[in-house]
Amino acid sequence: MGQKTPQIYSVELNGAKDMKQTDKGDDKDKYRGLWSTCLELRKNHHKEHVTKEIDLGLSSTQAAELLARDGPNALSPPQETPEIIKFLKQMVGGFSILLWVGAILCWIAYGIQFSNDKSSSLDNVYLGTVLALVVILTGIFAYYQEAKSTNIMASFSKMIPQQALVIRDSEKKIIPAEQLVVGDIVEIKGGDQIPADIRLLFAQGCKVDNSSLTGESEPQPRSCEFTHDNPLETKNIGFYSTTCLEGTATGMVINTGDRTIIGHIASLASGVGNEKTPIATEIEHFVHIVAGVAISIGVLFFIIAVSMKYRVLDSIIFLIGIIVANVPEGLLATVTVTLSLTAKRMAKKNCLVKNLEAVETLGSTSIICSDKTGTLTQNRMTVAHLWFDNQIFMADTSEDHFKQTFDQSSGTWASLSKIITLCNRAEFRPGQERVPIMKRVVVGDASETALLKFSEVVLGDVMEIRKRNHKVAEIPFNSTNKFQLSIHKTDDPTDKRFLMVMKGAPEKILEKCSTIMVNGQEQPLDQSTAEAFYTAYMELGGLGERVLGFCHLYLSADEFPETYSFDVDAMNFPMSNLCFVGLLSMIDPPRSTVPDAITKCRSAGIKVIMVTGDHPITAKAIAKSVGIISANSETVEDIAKRLNIAVEQVNKQDAKAVVVTGMELKDMSEDQLDEVLTSYPEIVFARTSPQQKLIIVEGCQRQDAVVAVTGDGVNDSPALKKADIGIAMGIAGSDAAKNAADMVLLDDNFASIVTGVEEGRLIFDNLKKTIAYTLTKNIAELCPFLIYIIVGVPLPLGTITILFIDLGTDIVPSIALAYEKAESDIMNRKPRHKKKDRLVNKPLAVYSYLHIGLMQSLGAFLVYFTVYAQEGFRPSTLINLRVEWEKDFVNNLEDSYGQEWTRYQRKYLEWTGYTAFFIGIMIQQIADLIIRKTRKNSIFQQGLFRNKVIWVGIASQIIIALILSYGLGSITALNFTMLRPQYWFVAVPHAFLIWVYDEVRKLFIRLYPGSWWDKNMYY
Amino acid sequence: MTKKDKKSFQQSLAEWKLFLYNPTTGAFLGRTAKSWGLILLFYLVFYGFLAALFTFTMWVMLQTLNDEVPKYRDQISSPGLTVFPKPVTALEYSFSVSKRESYEGYIEDLKKFLKPYTAEAQKNLRNCQDGALFEQKGPVYEACQFPLALLEACSGESDPEFGYSKGHPCILVKMNRIIGLKPQGKPAIECTGNSKGENTTTLPVYPSEGNIDLKYFPYYGKKLHASYLQPLVAVQFNYTASSTPKEVTVECKIVGSKNLKNYDDRDKFLGRVAFKITMRA
Repeated sequence: MGQKTPQIYSVELNGAKDMKQTDKGDDKDKYRGLWSTCLELRKNHHKEHVTKEIDLGLSSTQAAELLARDGPNALSPPQETPEIIKFLKQMVGGFSILLWVGAILCWIAYGIQFSNDKSSSLDNVYLGTVLALVVILTGIFAYYQEAKSTNIMASFSKMIPQQALVIRDSEKKIIPAEQLVVGDIVEIKGGDQIPADIRLLFAQGCKVDNSSLTGESEPQPRSCEFTHDNPLETKNIGFYSTTCLEGTATGMVINTGDRTIIGHIASLASGVGNEKTPIATEIEHFVHIVAGVAISIGVLFFIIAVSMKYRVLDSIIFLIGIIVANVPEGLLATVTVTLSLTAKRMAKKNCLVKNLEAVETLGSTSIICSDKTGTLTQNRMTVAHLWFDNQIFMADTSEDHFKQTFDQSSGTWASLSKIITLCNRAEFRPGQERVPIMKRVVVGDASETALLKFSEVVLGDVMEIRKRNHKVAEIPFNSTNKFQLSIHKTDDPTDKRFLMVMKGAPEKILEKCSTIMVNGQEQPLDQSTAEAFYTAYMELGGLGERVLGFCHLYLSADEFPETYSFDVDAMNFPMSNLCFVGLLSMIDPPRSTVPDAITKCRSAGIKVIMVTGDHPITAKAIAKSVGIISANSETVEDIAKRLNIAVEQVNKQDAKAVVVTGMELKDMSEDQLDEVLTSYPEIVFARTSPQQKLIIVEGCQRQDAVVAVTGDGVNDSPALKKADIGIAMGIAGSDAAKNAADMVLLDDNFASIVTGVEEGRLIFDNLKKTIAYTLTKNIAELCPFLIYIIVGVPLPLGTITILFIDLGTDIVPSIALAYEKAESDIMNRKPRHKKKDRLVNKPLAVYSYLHIGLMQSLGAFLVYFTVYAQEGFRPSTLINLRVEWEKDFVNNLEDSYGQEWTRYQRKYLEWTGYTAFFIGIMIQQIADLIIRKTRKNSIFQQGLFRNKVIWVGIASQIIIALILSYGLGSITALNFTMLRPQYWFVAVPHAFLIWVYDEVRKLFIRLYPGSWWDKNMYY
Repeated sequence: MTKKDKKSFQQSLAEWKLFLYNPTTGAFLGRTAKSWGLILLFYLVFYGFLAALFTFTMWVMLQTLNDEVPKYRDQISSPGLTVFPKPVTALEYSFSVSKRESYEGYIEDLKKFLKPYTAEAQKNLRNCQDGALFEQKGPVYEACQFPLALLEACSGESDPEFGYSKGHPCILVKMNRIIGLKPQGKPAIECTGNSKGENTTTLPVYPSEGNIDLKYFPYYGKKLHASYLQPLVAVQFNYTASSTPKEVTVECKIVGSKNLKNYDDRDKFLGRVAFKITMRA
């Protein structure tokens, strides 16, 4: 401490000098007093290192040192699982364990063989290695996909760096907020986000919005006074990531990055457990089914094999074959690709998905808890209504085309427009002449921006008008006066009068008026006009709009000559008997796409709940205008008002909608909240704090709903995490919210969520198709082993060949199914039930395994038997031939025609059999692919050629098979041989039969919905 | 936590019971009797249909086959060589000259193998012209005689023990039957023996020079050519038995014919055969 003292003095000295320079010395003493308070506080907060001078700021070198010591001023993302753990998880997740078991069994089998016979073939070692490679490669692939989607996020958060105006090396500089260090002097003004935790050294009319931190939506005044020991309560601290609403302030950075208050909260939020995504549950369920089938068939046949007197070693090898045949090795990778394809598609529609699995979650969403501001609304105040000449005019509030069509001929409008233009401090940032007016960046608060843009649209170049009407004095808006005033020279050179214009809270403005302008004429303000004013005021207020009153006064040239010096402190000008001109109301209007989106949600069975910190009236008005509260539904209060009875007397059953305020919510028990959530279809939560959002989300989840939550504030992050899918706003959202969310809406638009829902539902349907497609051939891969064990025919399909189907020919087709269009309007059905509508249900497994799979096996066996028979081994000869067939020293095995075969000749024939079986499966998988395009509709209804990718898939199947059979025919390690072209067509009738059978199935499902057939055959 | 687990366990037990038999709906294993009936009927019909269909397609496939000759013979274009007596585990013969039981099995096997070659069995066969292919047009296909005498010392006629008791054991070598195979040139079997530490020597073969006469070709298949006798070549072991076990690796291969391959990278038995004889005194 002692060492620092001189430096503190030097700060004081320089601080005083600074004040002298900037404040022209008039209230030096006052500031000096404040300085000492600030310094007192600094002594309490002994954390910081005061090694700078206020006007100089830190030197770049000091800053660099501190930056190196403290790290960048950014919230560190929630603790990530180490990459290696993520990688290992991919290695043991899903089917990997089964395949590892298979690989290890292979090596064990080789070990046994080797101990018996040193020259035993290395086949099992190769197979084990291939299996291990498959696991590792699919693991790497899945890991890579995950990493890629995480990278999208990372690059995204870098796209919008926050800037800070900082004094360094005695210069004002704009630097990225990340580079701020403790001790930096930053300047903030209305509209800025506070770039770090700062202690204010100087503040003028500074107000901050701490809602993201404390949940209070009221703006909080800030000054340099140390008012409380609790940093959250004291008035001289501005918090990182909160917004400065108005005024200006200079502050010293006292905490950066994770050491800020927000940083603490964000790290708390990471404690809330992430819910498992529905699709993860589904895939786990599916893996369990397949693994269950694999293990039970494997063990069953192990026992059968042992009891059939097979050697244990052989039985182990059978077990490996059964596992490999049963496990769809390529499926999980396919699912990942499918999900990431959808994620890409969604990103194009402004939904950036952080967690691939969240793609589907959105599709099963049954409740969306949506923010109002920015999500449902445009997040900009816009002039909605005007009242003058005793009439309410409507202004256009849509986003882009901004043509005002109300009557502008009245003289009153001329005066009103002048007030709107002149009594306004907001300005366009220069250099935006080519930007559409509504998109230009404005320096000023929300209302003033709205007025500026409004007048720019209606009148043209506002800045020019202001120039012509030179401003001589001004009182900015503050919350005590509730008005804003400015005095101008007029642009009429003959008129030497000053024009005083004023706007503010309507009732305050009216108080100051004695006349009112009607049709351009000043009239005395009598009782009836006052009543008309109040009616209009109430009406506009009732729409949830922010209403402003406008008045003016021409100051007489005699009393106020051209040289008159106006003093805003002394108020040496009249403040009464003004002329009231009109009212103007503003609202943050709903986005034009939102009402449509809400209707879509409704027909899709998704309940949209609005959760906002706004006033209930505004919330309800917006809810009504976007359709969250539909046109003909009423709240209890509405009914009471209509029937003119007390609220308590209303039958609650009659009310469809309800507006619950945060205060009411605070007093509710869990059961009461559940009752509200279940009994009202249309719910608006108003004046809620971000913490209450979490309560609402939990309430929805108790109803077994899949809940999507939108949020932007830091305090939303627990709710975002708790939600089944947290959706952060890309533009307005804080980093903490984006970190906690599963998805980021790039355009903050609610309508984008709905397109996301559509994609999510489509992907669920298509994943079903992909899985059904993939599971089918598992039976065709499994049957050869079973027949081989039981009947003793030469092995029809090798293990390596199976891998070539699973990871070769089948990959592209199963991905191609992801491009399939929806069969019917997927937005017209209820969201799927988390626990009832499974991804892999019984009919899917049964139909794939026992119907199509079996048919496929028969077709493939036909090809197999054909090849053997035409080479000399008739089916009857093959039975129980296995033992002799596989003896290495039997080189004169007789076929059905008396010819004798050496071991290698038989082996080659066996490989030809593998190839034949493989081709048989491949040909029928084409039919399988085509039938999987739809689950209910006929292929002809769906269109054979609408999904072009399917044909790419079919082509890939055929090309891969051609390469394997003809291109690699000589590589014996892969066990493929050249197959006569005609064998490619043997299974075609079976393939055709599969198609016909499935068409019949679909036809009956369509003809008899709800029937026994439908229940057993629709997956 | 444990309390919750217990509850869920009881619940799942109850669920299982309900799944096994649900008294309210009468469902057994999740289906009512009617439902079971329907599903079983469905699968009966469906699988019946599939079985019929498979049988039919197999029948159609079998119709494409010829009873006498397989449709394709591309995978066995060249014959393999096989040896007799039939090896038990691997291509290794091991016996002791003084112990009859050590080679009795071999003799039995040889005798069994040579049964169709007895004069009695061959009496209906044709005595074909030597040195030329015996092509036939049918409908009756005749087989050529293979007099055992051609095998000389290994015929089993002069020495019923095939030389095993004398330390000169015989091994028979034959070419695999392949329908329609017409060897070119003058095919013969040539055998070499290689004992550790000694030079490779050519072993004596019968008939002389190991000739395989062309008259035994082509073969017309089991059905047409039922009485066909394969030509044989015997190789005799001429090492003298000593007190130390004699280990000889013998390799026999087809020579003298262009279209009969005797070397293939992968097929160790295509036109050649290698075996080991371990003989003790």
